[in-house]
Amino acid sequence: MERAMEQLNVQLNRLTRSLRRARTVELPEDNETAVYTLMPMVMADQHRSVSELLLNSKFDVNYAFGRVKRSLLHIAANCGSVECLVLLLKRGANPNYQDISGCTPLHLAARNGQKKCMGRLLEYNADVNICNNEGLTAIHWLAVNGRTELLHDLVQHVSNVDVEDAMGQTALHVACQNGHKTTVLCLLDSGADINRPNVSGATPLYFACSHGQRDTAQILLSRGAKYLPDKNGITPLDLCVEGGYGETCEVLIQHHGRLFQTLIQMTQNDDIKENMLRQVLEHVSQQSDYNYQCILTSLAEVATTNGHKLLSLSSNYEAQMKSLLRIVRIFCHVFRLGPSSPNNGNDMGYNGNKTPRSQVFKVCGCVGGPELWPLECCLWRPLELLWHSLDEWLVLISTELEKNGRGATASDIPSLLLKQREVETSHLHVSMATESTPATVLRSSPPLLGGEVMVKPPEVYADGQDVISMTANRLSAVIQAFYMCCSCQMPQGMTSPRFIEFVCKHDEVLKCFVTRNPKIIFDHFHFLLECPELMSRFMHIIKGQPFKDRCEWFYEHLLAGQPDSDMVHRPVNENDILLIHRESIFRSSCEVVSKSSNEKLKQGIAVRFHGEEGMGQGVVREWFDILSNEIINPDYALFTQSADGTTFQPNSNSSVNPDHLNYFRFAGQILGLALYHRQLVNIYFTRSFYKHILGIPVNYQDVSSIDPEYAKNLQWILDNDISDLGLELTFSVETDVFGAMEEVPIKPGGTSIQVTQENKEEYVQLVTELRMTRAIQPQINAFLLGFHTFIPPSLIQLFDEFELELLLSGMPEIDVMDWNRNTEYSSGYDLQEPVIQWFWEVVENFTQEERVLLLQFVTGSSRVPHGGFAYLMGGSGLQKFTIAAVPYTPNLLPTSSTCINMLKLPEYPSKDVLRNRLLVALHCGSYGYTMA
Amino acid sequence: MAVGGKALFCLIPYRSVETPEPEPIYFLFKFLVIGSAGTGKSCLLHQFIENKFKQDSNHTIGVEFGSRVVNVGGKTVKLQIWDTAGQERFRSVTRSYYRGAAGALLVYDITSRETYNALTNWLTDARTLASPNIVIILCGNKKDLDADREVTFLEASRFAQENELMFLETSALTGENVEEAFLKCARTILNKIESGELDPERMGSGIQYGDASLRQLRQPRGSAAQTKQQCNC
Repeated sequence: MERAMEQLNVQLNRLTRSLRRARTVELPEDNETAVYTLMPMVMADQHRSVSELLLNSKFDVNYAFGRVKRSLLHIAANCGSVECLVLLLKRGANPNYQDISGCTPLHLAARNGQKKCMGRLLEYNADVNICNNEGLTAIHWLAVNGRTELLHDLVQHVSNVDVEDAMGQTALHVACQNGHKTTVLCLLDSGADINRPNVSGATPLYFACSHGQRDTAQILLSRGAKYLPDKNGITPLDLCVEGGYGETCEVLIQHHGRLFQTLIQMTQNDDIKENMLRQVLEHVSQQSDYNYQCILTSLAEVATTNGHKLLSLSSNYEAQMKSLLRIVRIFCHVFRLGPSSPNNGNDMGYNGNKTPRSQVFKVCGCVGGPELWPLECCLWRPLELLWHSLDEWLVLISTELEKNGRGATASDIPSLLLKQREVETSHLHVSMATESTPATVLRSSPPLLGGEVMVKPPEVYADGQDVISMTANRLSAVIQAFYMCCSCQMPQGMTSPRFIEFVCKHDEVLKCFVTRNPKIIFDHFHFLLECPELMSRFMHIIKGQPFKDRCEWFYEHLLAGQPDSDMVHRPVNENDILLIHRESIFRSSCEVVSKSSNEKLKQGIAVRFHGEEGMGQGVVREWFDILSNEIINPDYALFTQSADGTTFQPNSNSSVNPDHLNYFRFAGQILGLALYHRQLVNIYFTRSFYKHILGIPVNYQDVSSIDPEYAKNLQWILDNDISDLGLELTFSVETDVFGAMEEVPIKPGGTSIQVTQENKEEYVQLVTELRMTRAIQPQINAFLLGFHTFIPPSLIQLFDEFELELLLSGMPEIDVMDWNRNTEYSSGYDLQEPVIQWFWEVVENFTQEERVLLLQFVTGSSRVPHGGFAYLMGGSGLQKFTIAAVPYTPNLLPTSSTCINMLKLPEYPSKDVLRNRLLVALHCGSYGYTMA
Repeated sequence: MAVGGKALFCLIPYRSVETPEPEPIYFLFKFLVIGSAGTGKSCLLHQFIENKFKQDSNHTIGVEFGSRVVNVGGKTVKLQIWDTAGQERFRSVTRSYYRGAAGALLVYDITSRETYNALTNWLTDARTLASPNIVIILCGNKKDLDADREVTFLEASRFAQENELMFLETSALTGENVEEAFLKCARTILNKIESGELDPERMGSGIQYGDASLRQLRQPRGSAAQTKQQCNC
């Protein structure tokens, strides 16, 4: 009874204890179950409970459990449960027990920086030299995480501080990689090998440089670390440049002066990322005035040598050209930063948009010739040699041109220039002819001393034409470099007078270059886009280039200032999303766009409609589409329809809307933004308004879009002799001003100047401008203000009014069947004529773009009216597409009369000839056919 | 071939994978090859660089470029050689390459008195346009055509002496004395550097430090004054 009572008491006691502690008070007999009972207590370091539970149990303290097969000692070491750790050790836990990955409790304690646990483990003879399966030891773990204090204690127990992991990496390697300065010092003090290579030959310095650990590199170098490449020949400097670690580079150069030249020479290496190298050079240049001058002088020297090599006809044009331009770009960037000074810190960043603020260089007045320079101007001296050679070359070409000009007629020159010579290459190993230098030969030969290879001088006899064709693009590339150097000495947006003078001086030669090879314009003459005064000289040549090429050039230059599109696509910042209300799309768009910064809008547009989820390109496209349609909504009175109802232009009465000029600016912004981001809009403007956007003067034919009858009258005046008609016209018009008719002069004193046969053209032009331009001048100006925030005027002038329409509104779909059905024939053609049949077959096979060009060619517009070709409008009402016959003479091109939608198609002898001539007219006629 | 072309112009072949580290280059000398048309300037250069005679050489257009690394007096020096056109019409272009040359090969044709007579003009050009200190070696080329000789060795060597030129008769065809001409010129420049007669630091000296040199970034205080001194050119 008593025993029963006692048992009950024990059970009761146990129950109470268990209940009070909210856990079992007896360890299950099965190790696996027991260990999971103990684990949470060990983690929380509840040593009393653990002790109590272990007291009378048969639990194996070395029992390994879980996926990685750890013992409770691992758990205690990992969590820093020092009391439990000691308890377990006292109960015989093995301090060197390794889990499935080979980690001992000491590894885990080291990894997590459990100082006390480490101490206790060492007291119980834990082995510090044990490697885990990856070869890592406790000191590796301490070094990775920079636990210097612990390392200091532990390293005394370590037999080999250079113990390697599976990759041959020592604790010093990993400490350097992670830039733990004190850890590195501790390891070095403990005798770690400062030059130890890992399996791939990477030394501690290499590791420090690979992660741009400036201070660590500094420590290593000051302790005598050798500068060694890895087994692939990659040097610490290569790594610094690759990562753009300017500070680390600087440290390397401080200790190994020769690396400075190596760094400079890297600018010639195509494989190195230019922006990273530039960052490094910019940083180093900002450390002192001496550095700045040293870098620029050296870069100028390298650039000059490269430029001269580019002018050697046997060099590889592509490679040498790229090299020269790369070096000069870097040179200009560094130059713009200016020499270091107290108020010119490193916070200036790397955007390179600085104007030179250095007093030294302003004093220099580097715009003059080298003779005029004070002695300080060493920076530019080497490059002056190159510019001098460039100048001499162009003078030489000019002389050659004159010589040829005497011998051949002007029209012969291009064909002469195109003449190319074949070279005998039979005995050469390799012949390499670049585009423009067919007669040059590059030869590789067994390297002589130091792995050098040599260029073979050209194997041609030089006559004048060859000299020009062989040097044109080389010289043009040097001109590009010259422009870059001239510009970087000027405030942003200004053209150097020296460069303008240069272009004027060599005008004839440069024109010859681009006439012969227009590609040069797009490859090297970017300066034209920045200097309107120079652009005008080349405009006629540029306009003659295919639309597609000009488009590419346009976008290349438009986006030139923007970060590379191949950069990581950044997630859209919530604040940058344009939130638009569908029901008030015009007003809400106007509001959000005016609040956004233009720079942000250039970087990208994200649109979300209020209350809708959708985002992305589709939504942006929809926004432009709906919004552009809304801009011409008659309710706003901003735009008015043309006579034929399909096109729009600013409404001269738009001021009924008091905010109209703001809205015009907004409309301009939207159109500019759409063009910037290659989005199409759903508006078609009158031809005259496209001209206004382009800054092209309007002519009397444009009047027909708003007043066809009046346009016919103007045409009549021009077509007939008005001397004896007694028209009594003066240079004035009668206008209704607030209900009263008033005579308003259209030029000063116009009311008393008679319109005569002699001055009638001026009269027509002036009244045209009055009707087309002056009436809506404020609206045009406001629109352009908005448009030009995204599209610089100098760029848009690459196009004519027809092309601008295509750019803004895109290619319409053209139904050839409908076109065919609604076409009339005159002057002897009919549908059965072979020429007409060929014509339609050819059009059928045209691309959409070619069809649009044809439509534009004949009708002046790229659009098919609503309802199809049946509704095609002419100068005076409906005017169907008409094809008229013209007698054929060889090479004759088709022409058109846009007022009456007439294509004058010569009676070509074959389909091929027809197709060929038609395409020539479409592709080359974009500039000229406005005259037709 | 593009890759080969690129390697061609790398002044310093870093990241060389297979070959062991090349000898570091101490100096880079800018050389000119000048003289009348048809004296064999391009052939001399070709022979020096490729150890071969150039069979079908044509008139050079403008200026051509070649380079070779040589060992002079225990130092590795890179010669950057600009081979100029001899034809009169290129004269102003080629002259623009003169500035900053450290050495020059002045070439005439021993079988053509005309080319010999023109030497004074070439010499004046070189001394005035390049640098008064330019080291020039006179080369009487086409030594192999002794039968057609129009200029005697003695006459030319007297001319060389009077004008303080070194002198050699060379043959681009056989290669005789070609290497010597370039090396002699380079050695003289190196001697002048070592004796202090030439200062590589001076701009326009035609001498640049190579990757083994001592020119490096310093962190001097009051560097402005120092820089001005260097600009003394």
